[in-house]
Amino acid sequence: MSQAQTLAVEVIAIEQVTPLIKHFTLSAVDGAELPAFSGGSHIIVVLRGATRIYRNPYSLLSSPHSLGSYEIGVRRMEESRGGSHFLHDQVTVGSRLEIAHPVNLFPLAKTARKQVLIAGGIGITPFLAQLEDLHDGTAPYELHYSVRSPEHAAFLPRLREREGDRVRLYFDSESQAIDFDGLLANQPLGTHVYVCGPAGLINRVMTTAQRLGWPDSHLHSEQFTAPPTGDAFEVVLARAKLTVQVAPDRSLLESIEAAGVEVPYLCRGGVCGFCQTRVLEVDGELLHNDHFLSDAEKTKGKSIMPCVSRARCKNLVLDL
Amino acid sequence: MLISGIKSKPVYSPLEADTRGRYHLMLAIGGAATALERVLGQLSAADPDALTRSRVLFAPDRGKAAAGSATATPATAAAVGFFAAWPQLDVRLYPDIPALLAALRVLLDESLMGTRLYVAAPESFIGRAVQLALEFNMNQDEIRAEALGSLARRVHCIHCRTTTEDVRTNIVECGGCGRWLLVRDHYSRRLAAYMGVMVDAESPGERPAVQEIFP
Repeated sequence: MSQAQTLAVEVIAIEQVTPLIKHFTLSAVDGAELPAFSGGSHIIVVLRGATRIYRNPYSLLSSPHSLGSYEIGVRRMEESRGGSHFLHDQVTVGSRLEIAHPVNLFPLAKTARKQVLIAGGIGITPFLAQLEDLHDGTAPYELHYSVRSPEHAAFLPRLREREGDRVRLYFDSESQAIDFDGLLANQPLGTHVYVCGPAGLINRVMTTAQRLGWPDSHLHSEQFTAPPTGDAFEVVLARAKLTVQVAPDRSLLESIEAAGVEVPYLCRGGVCGFCQTRVLEVDGELLHNDHFLSDAEKTKGKSIMPCVSRARCKNLVLDL
Repeated sequence: MLISGIKSKPVYSPLEADTRGRYHLMLAIGGAATALERVLGQLSAADPDALTRSRVLFAPDRGKAAAGSATATPATAAAVGFFAAWPQLDVRLYPDIPALLAALRVLLDESLMGTRLYVAAPESFIGRAVQLALEFNMNQDEIRAEALGSLARRVHCIHCRTTTEDVRTNIVECGGCGRWLLVRDHYSRRLAAYMGVMVDAESPGERPAVQEIFP
C-alpha cells in the first residue's frame, strides 16, 4: 500500500460515547461514496502531526450497506505514542484526514451454521459492522460483550435497540464474567467464534476452545497491537544502502518510511503479514511483537514484522 | 487421455487419531473398518475416557442384509468381532450405506463443536460422507479419511448434471443423457463426484476403447 492510494476525508461528526472512547464519522471530501467494505474491515488513518506522521488502524463500525460515510471508534490509550491522543485532542469536526482503502483481516465465515461474537471493550467495533451483515443472514448469532462498567460500554443503546436479546453484557464493575467453558462446550457443529479485545480475553477464548476440541478453522481473532516503544536502535537497509535510526517512540516501519523507503503494509498492527521483511544479519535479539509469525519463525529470526517489532542489538541488516 | 496432476483430486492418508478433538465420530464401510484400529489405539492411549466420547457407524460394502437383521452379512459379522475389542465403544450397525448416511445426518445435527469425523471406506463413500459433513460446515481440519477398497467413482455429467454411480472405466455412458463421458480427475467435494466430459464432442463416434481403470 502506498500513500498515493489514500482517500481524502473530512470529519463530519464527533461524539464522546464513553469517558475514553470517541466516535468519529468521516465522509469523502469530494462528497462521493466511499469504497465498499465487508464487516470486520479496518482502515488506516493517516494523521499528520506537527513533527511526525501517525498511521493507525481502526475497525470500521458503520454499516457496510451505507457508504456515504465511515465510522470509527477510538479509545484514548493510556500509553499512546500519540496517535489516539492526536485524534482525541487535535481533530475536530471539519478536520481533514487521509485514510487508506478498507482491508478485511477479520471476515465472517459465510458458511457458518452459527456465529458467536465475543467483544472486550473497544473490541466491539468490528462486530458493529459485522452485525449488519449477520442481521440479513439466516444463521443464528449472539454477541457477548465484556466491558469495565456500564459507563464504559460504548454503543450500548444502538446494540440493545437493534439486537435485543442477542447481546449479552458482562460488567467487570458488577463482577460479571463470561463463562468461557459454558459458552464453548455446547455449541452445535459448524459454529464459528470471533473474538476481538484485549490479549487476555483472546487468550482465554482460544485456550478454552482448543481444550474443548475446537479446530483452528472455526476460531477467529483480531487484535491490533499498537507499536510498542522501546530502546533506540540502528538498522541498515541493505538494498537501499541506508542506515536508519529508530527512536524509542517510533516503530521500525515508521523510521524506514521516514528515510524514504516504502515497505508494503495493510494493517500496521502485527496481524496481516504484509510488511514481513527478511533479516539478513542480526547480532542480538529480535523483539517480535506480532501475531503473524509462528513461534518457530520467531525463534529462527529470519523475518521481522517492522510495523510492531523492534530489536535489541548493535547490528541489524534488513533486505530492503 | 486422463489429465493427471489436477489439484482437486482428493489425497488420502492412513488414519491417525486427532487427540485434540473432544468427540470422535467414525464411519466404517465393510472390510475398511480395520483401518480404525490405529485411531482407536491412539485415542485410548492418549485418554482412557476418549472412547466413551467416540462412536462408530458401520455398514457392509454392498448388498442389503436380510430383512430385520443388520448383522446378516459376513462383513458385518466380521466388524462386530473386530469392534468387540473396545467394549466402551458405541458401535451402531446399519444394513446398507443409505441407512448409514441417513443416521449420520441426524447425528451431525446433534453433534457439538469439538467433534472429529473419521472415514474408513472406499473412496466413493468418503465423498458422500464429506459432502454431508460440509453441509454442517465441518472443515478439512475436522475430517480425516482413508480410502480402502474399490476405486469406483461417482461421475457427474457436466452436460446434463446426472451423477452416474459405480464407474470403473475410463469412459462411461451417462446414465442421464447417454453421452459418452471421459472420467476426469477433476473432483467436486460439493457434488461428491468426479467430472465427466463428453469424450467425442469434436469427432462424433470416435471414442477410445472402454477399459477398467478404477477397479
